[in-house]
Amino acid sequence: MGFFLETLIGGLMAGMLYSLVALGFVLIYKASGVFNFAQGSMVLFAALAMARFAEWLPHWLGLDSLWLANTIAFVIAGALMFVVAWLIERLVLRYLVNQEGATLLMATLGIAYVLEGIGTSLFGNNIYSIDVGMPKEPVFILDGLFEGGLLINKEDFIAALIAALLVGLLALFFQKTTTGRALRAVADDHQAAQSIGIPLNRIWVIIWFVAGLVALVAGVIWGSKLGVQFSLVTVALRGLPVVILGGLTSIPGAIIGGLIIGVGEKLSEVYLGPMIGGGIEIWFAYQLALVFLLFRPQGLFGEKIIDRV
Amino acid sequence: MNHQIGDVILDLKNVSLAFGGVKALTDISFDVREHEIRAIIGPNGAGKSSMLNVINGVYRPQQGEIILRGEHFARMNPYKAAKAGISRTFQNIALFKGMNVIDNMMTGRNLKIRSNLIQQAFWWGPARREELAHRAKVEEVIDFLEIQHIRKTPVGRLPYGLQKRVDLGRALAMEPSILLLDEPMAGMNVEEKQDMCRFILDINDQFGTTIVLIEHDMAVVMDISDRVVVLDYGKKIGDGNPDEVRASPEVISAYLGVSH
Repeated sequence: MGFFLETLIGGLMAGMLYSLVALGFVLIYKASGVFNFAQGSMVLFAALAMARFAEWLPHWLGLDSLWLANTIAFVIAGALMFVVAWLIERLVLRYLVNQEGATLLMATLGIAYVLEGIGTSLFGNNIYSIDVGMPKEPVFILDGLFEGGLLINKEDFIAALIAALLVGLLALFFQKTTTGRALRAVADDHQAAQSIGIPLNRIWVIIWFVAGLVALVAGVIWGSKLGVQFSLVTVALRGLPVVILGGLTSIPGAIIGGLIIGVGEKLSEVYLGPMIGGGIEIWFAYQLALVFLLFRPQGLFGEKIIDRV
Repeated sequence: MNHQIGDVILDLKNVSLAFGGVKALTDISFDVREHEIRAIIGPNGAGKSSMLNVINGVYRPQQGEIILRGEHFARMNPYKAAKAGISRTFQNIALFKGMNVIDNMMTGRNLKIRSNLIQQAFWWGPARREELAHRAKVEEVIDFLEIQHIRKTPVGRLPYGLQKRVDLGRALAMEPSILLLDEPMAGMNVEEKQDMCRFILDINDQFGTTIVLIEHDMAVVMDISDRVVVLDYGKKIGDGNPDEVRASPEVISAYLGVSH
């Protein structure tokens, strides 16, 4: 029982991180109906900015506080993501209003290459580390209840907590504020939103900025686990099965989809692994996504696509 | 309240619009006076919806200009139009399907909202007070359109006739000075049509809103409009009050004389 719970909790925590990546996709898809291929590049760009500024700032300003350097670096990286969002709207999206989905998709593919190129030329393409002072050592909890207690990775726990908090705040923002309502309106119907005076351009800057912030948080968390390197781009791939499972249009879907995949991966690895050989963790999410594409293509919480014939 | 029909508020001059080789509108001029109900009629494909889309800036005509309250607009766009007090409904209802009726109508208040993103994010005093004031305004529109019972229903679940009414409600929530209605009664049954007619007349009468409408139902158009423009194949073939239009031989051969 203790071992099962331990695996379950490990899965939930990993799942929360997948949700965070998936959230980036969902936000942009909701607001502009486009699948953003550049999400992974945004994670890389943000993480690179964060890592390098945290490294440079102590030299430039003579800071000796790690905490302060990290905070300032985080703010600068956040500001950079705003500039990125503004430029993307200004140079790309503005010219593609009311275009086909495929056109926008290709445009985001272009954005991905440009961001990767600019990011690595500005910040370098070695492996950098982000040290935000996350506790690395695992702890035992509930040792009164189970023999030996449950072994929890503190770093994962804090990361999951941050991710959950961010997801919750964003959901509230979307539901409760006037701007959130305008964002949802744009997501539903560009033309109608424009005709009642919702400024499409500003909404797009806001949504890409929010997606950029989500990418930054994901970049910091994954970057401090895996190191900041080019392969961070592929972190976004982990979000793909999550959005297929949860539905591209649903924020709760991204959360629950992430949790299901996190838990599914870990449990199947531990309990099915010995029977059919290990390595299930690597392909489990994609197989599950495939099943969903066959039987429920709109995902668990996505809007069912009904077209008038 | 009595709103006398006033001066020209919207003037379209020599508007031509083409999509590639297809001429949707050819050299069309007409004006709309303040507080009047102006109808645009014509057979299918005559360019009625294109005309409305030009006024509201969805389409940009190759030639011609739009003069709104004396101001010339060479390049109109939907956002500018909305800011200038023009709101519209759509032929194929374009509501935000995932939202409920109140939220849909609250989006119509978007231009009037002054609080900024940060105030909203923290539900700060001004943002909250503002939200409540706008909500009160929306409730007035809901009462006016007699849709109290469906306030919290997601619009995707409503029957067609009611969706049309919510679409009108969202446009009204903007407190427009000019309201463009694209076939407000298409696909409705007799009872729903009567309701819609009553609302259109009441809006015009109580708020003094200028209304430009496209409608297929001739009886309705002749009954409620002050003046009518007739289009056929993108050209204007008639303009005047309902009696004049009804008597025009060109209009009769192009439209009224043709059995459907």
